[in-house]
Amino acid sequence: MALLLKTHLELAKASLKRNKARSFLTCLGISIGVAAIILILSLMGSIETLIKTQVSNIGSDLIVVRPSVERDTVSKIVDELTSSSAYLKSNLTLEDVKTIKNLENIESVAPLAISVNALSGDNAVPSATVVGTTPDFIKIQNFSLKSGTFLSDSLKTNAAVIGSNLANTLYGTAEPIGKTLTLLGTKFFVVGVLSEIDDPINFNNLDLDNSLFVDAEKLAVTAGSLQIQQINIRAKTTDSLDKTVENIKDSLRLANSGDANFSVSYGDQITHPAGSLLSIISGVLSIVAGISLIVGGIGIMNIMLVSVSERTHEIGIRKAVGASGSNILLQFLFESLILSLFGGILGLVLGYGLAFAVCLVTPFDPYLSWEILLTTFITALSVGLIFGLYPALKAANKNPIYSLKFFR
Amino acid sequence: MPDEKETIIKLEGLTKKYGFREAESFALNNFDLTVKRGEFIMIMGPSGCGKTTLLNVIGLLDTATSGTYFLNGEPVNRIKSRKKARVRSKKIGFIFQNFNLIPDLPIIENVALPLVYSGFHKTRRLLRASETLERFNLKDKEYYMPYQLSGGQQQRAAIARAIVSKPEIILADEPTGNLDSHSSHIVMEELKRIHSEGNTIIMVTHNPNLTSYATRVINMLDGGIDTDIKTVEDSDLPEPVVVRNRRKKTSKKQKPALPNLRRSKKKKLKKRGKR
Repeated sequence: MALLLKTHLELAKASLKRNKARSFLTCLGISIGVAAIILILSLMGSIETLIKTQVSNIGSDLIVVRPSVERDTVSKIVDELTSSSAYLKSNLTLEDVKTIKNLENIESVAPLAISVNALSGDNAVPSATVVGTTPDFIKIQNFSLKSGTFLSDSLKTNAAVIGSNLANTLYGTAEPIGKTLTLLGTKFFVVGVLSEIDDPINFNNLDLDNSLFVDAEKLAVTAGSLQIQQINIRAKTTDSLDKTVENIKDSLRLANSGDANFSVSYGDQITHPAGSLLSIISGVLSIVAGISLIVGGIGIMNIMLVSVSERTHEIGIRKAVGASGSNILLQFLFESLILSLFGGILGLVLGYGLAFAVCLVTPFDPYLSWEILLTTFITALSVGLIFGLYPALKAANKNPIYSLKFFR
Repeated sequence: MPDEKETIIKLEGLTKKYGFREAESFALNNFDLTVKRGEFIMIMGPSGCGKTTLLNVIGLLDTATSGTYFLNGEPVNRIKSRKKARVRSKKIGFIFQNFNLIPDLPIIENVALPLVYSGFHKTRRLLRASETLERFNLKDKEYYMPYQLSGGQQQRAAIARAIVSKPEIILADEPTGNLDSHSSHIVMEELKRIHSEGNTIIMVTHNPNLTSYATRVINMLDGGIDTDIKTVEDSDLPEPVVVRNRRKKTSKKQKPALPNLRRSKKKKLKKRGKR
């Protein structure tokens, strides 16, 4: 059996060699699909690793409270991410922030009430991210200020801290301390500018370089209401983090009359919404890549059908000298498997090449793993098998007498 | 009985029907034939009388509509296609009018083709093919492509392919049909040589001049036998030199005992022995 398989492999290789250009082009069809999958998986892996690194850099004592219950199923995640009113559903309040702050083992608590508003300083910005938070935010998030100071208990009213990029956009300078800006008709003074962070993808879903930070209570008054999308909490010690989390859950449930429309996460769970978003994006992109893979597979099928048709006479001769239907089937199946395998390898190289190229201009590192390699290998072989089976069966079922009479 | 020759092919009431109802026609009509080992049968007859169909049925490329076909005493017309292929690869060699060499393969690989399906290693295949080509004075053309050879040389290569796996039966469908008289003569001499080594040859031809090579001439008409003339007595037919796959005749006692090995190892040893 092994000898027969080896022989079929040799035959398949030989016949593919005879049509090098055609074989290469067929491989290319598969390799584009595989490259797209590799690129997506690699980039998604990079982003996820990046977020995990951020979270671990911030510390294992970080706890995050988010509105709504934990999303488990894909449909819920889709619902969460696609619903335009998702932010409006938040039932977290500043009272909840105070409740948490008074709990045991809590070092600092910072709400993130994110909204998009028009700002006007020296220049006007039609839509900027405005974050209502508390002075504790800087204690939880390890970032530094380029100049000035962050919000503090004594510097709460009408004080604003600005991200470095936004400062440039709004004032044309990186040093706008003391300048004023107007948000929803209220004047704010710039008291601090953040150092450039260049971390647009993070667990806060917030581009800090392009955000404006004001006191949450002041923002509530200015805007009339406040929607808190996240509460970041730093615990004093990590020893009893589970207990702390349970305490937070219990007290929030108590404060909300027994409702539990929130989730409390820590450690790796924190990356969940970002991970969910990535899952959706990678899912959609994978579908697109899958379509290109199917197109590649159809290419294989098409070429194999042409090959079967062209080689009908050869099939007749082989059958006359003793080839059985399964011999012919294996020969053609091996051809399509070789095509798809080479396409897969080419796609792997191409995909990682592209991933490296993308990583040169983005903050990610290319992500390599044996799972991706295995996925590629299995995907490529499956495509070869699925799309090669029909032509191979067609070849195997050819009538030898008819085939012998068939000439190119 | 003095020197009774073994029957290799027996056809009983073989019928091959094409078409339905009004379009129905019979390529073979209740055809009976017994072929002894070592016969050189020349089948003649007008076009459409069923000669090629008969050859295809004997060669297990086609199946008769009704009737029974015994090959070496075993009915084979209803066996599975996989087994038919195995029989073709080991017991039957085909020679065609238009040579039917695969144009993309060099001559040596064309000749070695039947051995691919008999489970030979590549080296052994090519070695055997090379030896066979040497018999036909084509050794220096081993790595030529078919289109680089003359018609006569191509047909000799095709004959080499037909005998490379040492089959018992050679079926030739107008092997000289596309050749000039000189090449025809060479090809017929080759077939004569193969026959003298004890092979059974059934050949279809339109050329009455070639009947001198045959030991039996059958004239077909409308799917049946018109005349059947034996020019050589059965007792004068050549003795087979080597006939493969006749191990059935050796009793279990005569078989060399294999040491107590695992079954797979035994199989391997048996295979090696076979080659």
